[in-house]
Amino acid sequence: MTFSYGKDRQALHGLDFAVEDGEIFGFLGPNGSGKSTTQKILTGILKGHGGKVSVFGQDISSARDREFFRKIGVLFEFPYLYANLSAVDNLNYFASFYPREQRRDVGELLDALELKPEFWKKPVSSCSKGMRQRVSMARALVSNPRLLFLDEPTSGLDPSGAVLFRKIIEQERQKGTTVFVTTHNMVDADLLCDRVAFIAGGNIVALDTPGRLKEKNSRRRVAIDYLYQGRRETKTIEAPDLEAGIPFAHDEIISIHSQEPTLEDMFIQYTGRGLS
Amino acid sequence: MGKDFCALFKKDLRMLVSGRFFLMAAGFLVLYTAYVNLGYVRFMQMPPYHVYLYDPAGTQTETSSLVQNVPSLKAMDAALLSDANGVGLDAGSGDVRVVLYAGAEHIDHHRSDYALSLLQPSAGSAPEILGTNTPEQKARKEITCELLFFELAAVGFLGIAAVLFKEKDMGVIRVHAVLPVHKELFLLSKLAIFLLSDLAFALLLTLLNLGVGDGAAVLPAVLLQTAVLSLIMALAGLLCALLLKDFRQFTLAYLVIAIFAATPVFLSANTSVKFDWIGLHPFYHVYMGLKNAYFGMAVSPVYDIGAAGAIVLLFLMVRPAFYREIGKEG
Repeated sequence: MTFSYGKDRQALHGLDFAVEDGEIFGFLGPNGSGKSTTQKILTGILKGHGGKVSVFGQDISSARDREFFRKIGVLFEFPYLYANLSAVDNLNYFASFYPREQRRDVGELLDALELKPEFWKKPVSSCSKGMRQRVSMARALVSNPRLLFLDEPTSGLDPSGAVLFRKIIEQERQKGTTVFVTTHNMVDADLLCDRVAFIAGGNIVALDTPGRLKEKNSRRRVAIDYLYQGRRETKTIEAPDLEAGIPFAHDEIISIHSQEPTLEDMFIQYTGRGLS
Repeated sequence: MGKDFCALFKKDLRMLVSGRFFLMAAGFLVLYTAYVNLGYVRFMQMPPYHVYLYDPAGTQTETSSLVQNVPSLKAMDAALLSDANGVGLDAGSGDVRVVLYAGAEHIDHHRSDYALSLLQPSAGSAPEILGTNTPEQKARKEITCELLFFELAAVGFLGIAAVLFKEKDMGVIRVHAVLPVHKELFLLSKLAIFLLSDLAFALLLTLLNLGVGDGAAVLPAVLLQTAVLSLIMALAGLLCALLLKDFRQFTLAYLVIAIFAATPVFLSANTSVKFDWIGLHPFYHVYMGLKNAYFGMAVSPVYDIGAAGAIVLLFLMVRPAFYREIGKEG
């Protein structure tokens, strides 16, 4: 997939990837890397790409019809809702464009997303950013999509909200929904995604499961904190050296930490830059 | 598709209700009606200038009832001092002498001739009356036409832009990009709601100010011209709202439109000021279309074709601007 905004602004330089049915696929990259452009092409918003893009086995250029939009759900980075309407009215409005048999129950969704019932019928303008994000997630899910696009799903949420969203996304996967997540958040990517792609400068620089990406680049070391003769010390040893037990004198082990790199370390290693 | 249109229409209706648009339109309707019935028509029936006559010997025997007699020259001076537009006629010396505070020369001639004509109202030759409208009917039609044009050109244009800017600010336009709905319906529902609202406004304004009999006679043509102007202004409002960044930029653009588009049209259509190029001004034709509708004059088919073409052209310009907007970054 290639895409260019005008003659001199090539945004995507030839992305090549496939997302399996029922998979949670993470798309990670810093601002301006081409994440949003990719998502807009995949959701049928942006036209004029180069290469071949297929969604649901059909070329996206010819598949952008009502049937296609019925099968996808999109959560935008910001909670785009009618501020003068209540959460229930917003959801009923957006749901009204889908066939009745496809729609989910608005009340059940708001319940699942733990939006306090006293805010269900109040104008969305009176809700906090976190609450609006929950209503937005409900909007993306109200049509029971087969393919869910999530852009920074946990931004603006408190830690418990982020945990809840990850649980909801996991439930979606269990139902067989394919999830395409674009995010900066390495914790989300690590905890949720079956596979992640690192994108930088319009190119995919790495694509694998989070575990394998970390494993490939692991130095297989462990750092051990321990007490010996009343002094606290730290030693880093090769992981295989542990097989025969702790290979140095000690009185008490305080903690053992694997020196496995984080997903963020991997991102910096592959792209040469951070995610912010 | 009909169901989708209804959902969009209902949502737009709620947006307008919560934005108090209809309340504002009702307020304007009351204000305009009060202005026409309590102010404008009475004002138009008043004589253009007060005329004061000093005639101690009673030489003027046929004077009009509009002439006010004064007992002395001093009293006439006092009257003219407090009414500088008034005209004094001094018949104290046998001949009639005109006394007035000087203004513009050609106006002064008019004031003088008018005052003298009131001394012998039966002497002037009666002019041929063209048309069947009484002066009051004519005044009512003219002012109703002007107010309706202003309402459609200003309030409708600003109203639709305000709604769209609200949706732009909330970002909800972008959500419609991924909904299973024909994107054009988003625009059509707004056009429909503003069109219906403008038609209702035109109907009520016309009936309230022209009366049921006169109003009903011109209503079909007026509603047709209202529809033309409403669609043109709504599409122009949509286009500006889609292309401009915020409402502040939009109001600046609106001022430019108001000054350069509306002013020469009003001047050319309602005063003796004539611009050679006014025939090239599209708004002049739209305004004259509405005015002709109020006065029962036929509208040229060329104008009808031009208006339909302008509406189609504007829609074709709004469409890509809308697609550009829904594809924007968050």
